[in-house]
Amino acid sequence: MGPGKLIASTRRKPTKRVRLAKSRARPLTVTPQLEPGAPSDLDLMLGIQAGDPDALSQLYDRYNGILKALILRVIHNEAEADDLLQEIFMEIWNQAKNFSAQKGKPLGWMVTLARRRAIDGLRKKQAYARAEERLQNETEQQPDAWVHNATEEEILLSDTRSLIGKVIKSLPPAQQQAIDLAFFKGMSQREIAAKTNTPLGTVKTRLELGLKKIYDGLKELRDEL
Amino acid sequence: MNFSQFQNQARLYVIGALEPEELEEFEKARKKFGKKGEDFITKCYALHEAFALSLRPAKSSTAIKDRLMAMVKAKQGT
Repeated sequence: MGPGKLIASTRRKPTKRVRLAKSRARPLTVTPQLEPGAPSDLDLMLGIQAGDPDALSQLYDRYNGILKALILRVIHNEAEADDLLQEIFMEIWNQAKNFSAQKGKPLGWMVTLARRRAIDGLRKKQAYARAEERLQNETEQQPDAWVHNATEEEILLSDTRSLIGKVIKSLPPAQQQAIDLAFFKGMSQREIAAKTNTPLGTVKTRLELGLKKIYDGLKELRDEL
Repeated sequence: MNFSQFQNQARLYVIGALEPEELEEFEKARKKFGKKGEDFITKCYALHEAFALSLRPAKSSTAIKDRLMAMVKAKQGT
């Protein structure tokens, strides 16, 4: 990995074009840019650590849509996703003391937590079969399910999404599928190999190549912009 | 394992896709590369943000937030 690192930032107003924050430190991150005067994610995390419910309320307003989308992508059930979203934000409140800015950004920490909880929830409820069936139906109805073209009315962070989606869409479908199953379904390489009827070595190569391309692609995207 | 191989494994590690036998080797390499390795793993977690931000945000019921904040306040009151 070279020195270049990505910051793809968006303004929250949907009609504006993406603007990238310039940073001397150039951390590898894709954090949305905030309106002037708004507290940073880190400010809010520190507020939560100090026991301020308003900080949690603001963090919820900022990221509930992203985390809900992530949960839905894993469990494919609206009601369960809502319940899990509430549990995850409660866990954010309870576990905030374990967050360390040295180890990453608040959003990354929250996404990691949400993904783990969603995958755990999926396994606990033994809902694989049902979820797979729903996934299959959704895939048939909407083959390009990972990256959507959003309308202006529903846009929040849409420029960031579009930029990242561009990177992901540049991957061969087999690599996208392998990463999708690993990240959103929590499948091991062996499980992916079995599900896709693909040799284990091929799955490993697809994951390695795909993840490297995304990682490098994000960096290139940041350098271009 | 050289650092380039470690980087490949680190990207798999952060999404939980290393097989048990790979995980053992990865942990050995992680110790070997020390801070440089840890720094790279931290950077790899940006992939999580990227995957989440690649999704269209979903709407949730306002009741969820109301329940959440009520739970938080109740917990503070105990």
